[in-house]
Amino acid sequence: MHSTIFGSLGFALFPAVIAIFAFLGSLTLPIFADVFPFDVIALLMHALFLLMGVMVGSFGLMGREFMNRRFGQASLIAYASRSLPVSERRIFAAFLAKDTVYYILLYVLPFAAGFTAATPFTGLDPLLGLLAFVSLALAFLLGLSAVCFLSTLYTRSVALLAGTAAVLAVAAIAAFRLGAITVSAVLPPYAFFLDPAPEPLALALLLILVPATASVLFVTVDYPDRTRRFKNRLDPLAGRLHGLGSAHFIAKDALDLLRSEGGAGKVIFSFLLPLGLVWICLQVLIRFIPGIDPLVVFAVLLGVISATIYNWLTEFDSFTSYAFLPVEVSEVIDAKLKSYALANLLPLGVLVLAAATSGAAGTFLPALAAFASVSAYTLAVTLYLTGLHPNVMLYHAWVFLRYLLAISPALLLLIFVSIVDPAYAALSLLLVAPAVFLLARGRKKWQAWEMPQF
Amino acid sequence: MIEATELTKNYGNVTAVNRVSFSVTEGELFGLLGPNGSGKTTMIRMLTGQIPPTAGSARVMGIDPVKDPIGARGLVGIIPEQETPPSFLTAEEYLRFVASIRNLDAVDERCDRWFDLLEFQDKRDVLCKDLSRGTRQKLMFAQAFLHEPKLALIDEPLINLDPIMQRTVKDFLKDYVQGGGTVFISTHILEIAEEICDRIGIIHNGRLLHSGPVEDLVATGRHLESFFLDLVRGDAGA
Repeated sequence: MHSTIFGSLGFALFPAVIAIFAFLGSLTLPIFADVFPFDVIALLMHALFLLMGVMVGSFGLMGREFMNRRFGQASLIAYASRSLPVSERRIFAAFLAKDTVYYILLYVLPFAAGFTAATPFTGLDPLLGLLAFVSLALAFLLGLSAVCFLSTLYTRSVALLAGTAAVLAVAAIAAFRLGAITVSAVLPPYAFFLDPAPEPLALALLLILVPATASVLFVTVDYPDRTRRFKNRLDPLAGRLHGLGSAHFIAKDALDLLRSEGGAGKVIFSFLLPLGLVWICLQVLIRFIPGIDPLVVFAVLLGVISATIYNWLTEFDSFTSYAFLPVEVSEVIDAKLKSYALANLLPLGVLVLAAATSGAAGTFLPALAAFASVSAYTLAVTLYLTGLHPNVMLYHAWVFLRYLLAISPALLLLIFVSIVDPAYAALSLLLVAPAVFLLARGRKKWQAWEMPQF
Repeated sequence: MIEATELTKNYGNVTAVNRVSFSVTEGELFGLLGPNGSGKTTMIRMLTGQIPPTAGSARVMGIDPVKDPIGARGLVGIIPEQETPPSFLTAEEYLRFVASIRNLDAVDERCDRWFDLLEFQDKRDVLCKDLSRGTRQKLMFAQAFLHEPKLALIDEPLINLDPIMQRTVKDFLKDYVQGGGTVFISTHILEIAEEICDRIGIIHNGRLLHSGPVEDLVATGRHLESFFLDLVRGDAGA
């Protein structure tokens, strides 16, 4: 699908962009070796790929969401079990295998290739590239299979999921506090990278295969057969939002979110779960990097992850949906921005909660500035580059490259200055100006956009 | 009501519409006929300011849709062929959503009228994604006429409708035109054009091959189908 939309080259170059970034990033390893030891960088990379697995899994594999939205209404494949002699379990397993191959080829392989290509300049053993490929793939699959398992529990019973999640969380926190488990034990792919022995490899495979197999065996699919009826909630909701302008558009966005498949599960899996993972990683990171303020760094990353809310808001819309009505594209965009601002109350709540529970209230204000600015800036870049189609357009190599170039330097710089002094995170407010500029340009750019249609 | 002059649209190297000129007068039901991919949808999109023409010009109800697309779309009603109403609004909520965009009053009465006329009152609180294709088409029909436009542009008007509803829609369109309204439809279903259109245009490969009253054709004793096929096949062989 992506190669059809972007052309073969546009999509084929996507892994090349990843490889180039990994290559350039790897070149900086010796420069920052004093601040970031190699094993800390390795831990971060494994956590990143674990997070990617979680996000890929949560985006695509949420039981009903998985079958109904991703394939069900998008294609006839999910309905194959109705019209063809193929079981739902087999379809689920096939898509799990397909996602595994797809994302490993698209992300992990080029990343490892870029890292390997840099080894002559970094003085690292080129074989580490091969090892990184295996361990990062394992980290990705660990995240993917864990979310698959949790989402299968979710489709069986929300209470079962909540209970399992609570038990796991309490056990993990208790074990961490007691020092009973180490990072390597929690993240066996990372342990395998540090020490390529059979034990961590076996543990990693066990932690991947058991949840993945269980999720395939117990998968349940609720096809959207039932007709869902609702009283008119658009007007009352729009009435309450009247003061914001574009009230009916914002109300529509809210109803899209509330009524679409996944519901609360979407928030848990694709937002709160990755954030929890980020928070845990930061708690580990502060042991290695003195001076780092976890709340400020969390706020920066929260800003980036919050921009994925824009993906939710645009999931059910396209410009062509409004092209036959007397509506400017810029009006639709403005409404999305307002919906986005309102939806950002959720990550704001997370930030407040993190500040309150971590005892880091002293850096709350710079953290708040960092969160708000980064969220606005990342949104502006996303909107400028992808319009109302971030879920599709970010896979275009050229678009993705520009996205990375626009976001990464700003983030890295912000994190670095915040290590010097957390108060410097307030400098993130400087991002507001380019954000406003990009939003203005984006409105004009997408106003002039047209899609061929005969 | 519609005046198209040398309208042309290129998509890269492909010419979707090639120097097409025609006019539609008030109180007329004009049908643009053509095979799939002949440029019918592109024509409607240009006339309603959804896309700018590469060359040529148009006026719709006195408005240049390139200069004032919102003004043009505000006056007319449009039923696109491929668009469906938003998945997670109910049928009623969608009409209310359109009414809010068009700043309409008496929304309850307008909604009731269309739910009654197209016989889907029992579906008004159903999510659009759970509606049948035919009911979605009814809803798209309702949104286009909600503001009682003087001109409607409809891409494949009877698609997905059952025979009973097709009759209802055809009768409505005839009444609408007799009441002073104007309709521009694009279709590849010749029976529709033969039955309800006053005048037709036949488009193929982006070029308008014929334009004239249906009754002239009937007077010659020829069926529209044979006339259409001869014209299109002749053009394809040329």
